Amino acid sequence: MIEWWDKQIQRADHLAPRANGSKELLNFYAQLLRAQKDIYEFLRSRKNWLPSGELECDLSVLLDTLPGFLKVIQSHGPESLAAEAHDLLETDPEVLAERLMSYWHTPSDIQFFEKAFLQPYLRWVAESGARPVGRSVSAGERYCPFCGGSPQVSFLQNKETTAESGNRDLICATCLSSWEFRRVVCANCGEERPAKLGYFHSPEFDHVRIEACDTCKHYIKGVDLTRVGFAAPIVDEINAAPLDLWAREHGYTKIELNLVGV
Amino acid sequence: MEVSRRTFIRTTLIGGAGVTVFGFSLAPVYAQTQGLKIARTTETRSTCPYCSVSCGVIIHTLGDKAKNATPQVVHVEGDPDHPINRGTLCPKGASLQQDILNDRRLLKPQVRRPGATDWEDISWDDAINEVARWVKKTRDATFVEKDKNGATVNRCEGIGWTGGCTDTNELNFLAVKAMRSMGVCYFETQARV
Repeated sequence: MIEWWDKQIQRADHLAPRANGSKELLNFYAQLLRAQKDIYEFLRSRKNWLPSGELECDLSVLLDTLPGFLKVIQSHGPESLAAEAHDLLETDPEVLAERLMSYWHTPSDIQFFEKAFLQPYLRWVAESGARPVGRSVSAGERYCPFCGGSPQVSFLQNKETTAESGNRDLICATCLSSWEFRRVVCANCGEERPAKLGYFHSPEFDHVRIEACDTCKHYIKGVDLTRVGFAAPIVDEINAAPLDLWAREHGYTKIELNLVGV
Repeated sequence: MEVSRRTFIRTTLIGGAGVTVFGFSLAPVYAQTQGLKIARTTETRSTCPYCSVSCGVIIHTLGDKAKNATPQVVHVEGDPDHPINRGTLCPKGASLQQDILNDRRLLKPQVRRPGATDWEDISWDDAINEVARWVKKTRDATFVEKDKNGATVNRCEGIGWTGGCTDTNELNFLAVKAMRSMGVCYFETQARV
């Protein structure tokens, strides 16, 4: 849905001027979201074409959008990403295709271009009813049931009309789909003992918290939509980047780095 | 990218600020991090004690597990993963935090004397002695050893016991043992969860 992208962009635009430490991250992410929305719209509006879910088959269509995407990164990204975008613009399309296929088979959160470029494609795959094919990813409740990706962020949202407490969902870092997940469970190792699960809050980010596990020493950030209903979890998660640094200083590792690398 | 995820994290920790794996400066983020006031809570799944519906609850406890800090319940909410209530709670269950924190809870025994209109405080020792004395007197006066057909029944019909919904398993166990040992028949707990 295009509205979904617009909501993320509006939220990033809203938060960026008000942000303290994460202003630069949000400004970039807003531009990145616009570029991703353009890819999504291109794919969605293409006549007589639906994604097969097999990246190798869909690449010929998808690669048409890559130069525009790279130019946005070149213009708005930090020095290292801009330089790499510049290099990629001059790279042989076959090499680019190989890189994308490599990420497709074994995704990694430090492959910025592959992850950011394929997110809108996978989201459209999910919405169009196809299934991703040929990805060697883990299965289980802690992984996206659609594409097998790791969770990027969790969020709490009321699903029962008479309930005040929020059900917990995880958002996939790879395809941006969400799936239901239990509240008091580590999203990385499945730890359920309350004493091993710590929730860290700060008044500066009232609706965002660190959900950490003392067993596996991993964490994920959680956005509470029952407190701030108009928040966009993947954007608010970036806005709360100071919490990430705090968590790392205290020995926790994030399950999946986001698209600004925190 | 040549930087591994592990290298990036180590660099961030040692360098304090530095840059992210994608090249964003972390200096302003780090500066804000220094001013954060972080509090740790735990979430414990439990069962509402008030009635036999047995709704699931999540109890939020503030505390960083330090030995000199007393954990403090700060919030109780319905458990959205519980199949019975799916995150909802009745008004009484929603006020469960008050069962732990309300400053109007009774923290010491009280007695209302025959004919009196007000309750008065009583020490634990005096309360226990007085209860023991009245139980002994009542049991001696009302104990039934045999029924009208001559069958041995050994029951005490002059004493009744009612338990409360927030009584613990341990209290209910002791109550059953104590009342049954005295032959009390009119006995009820609210242990239905």
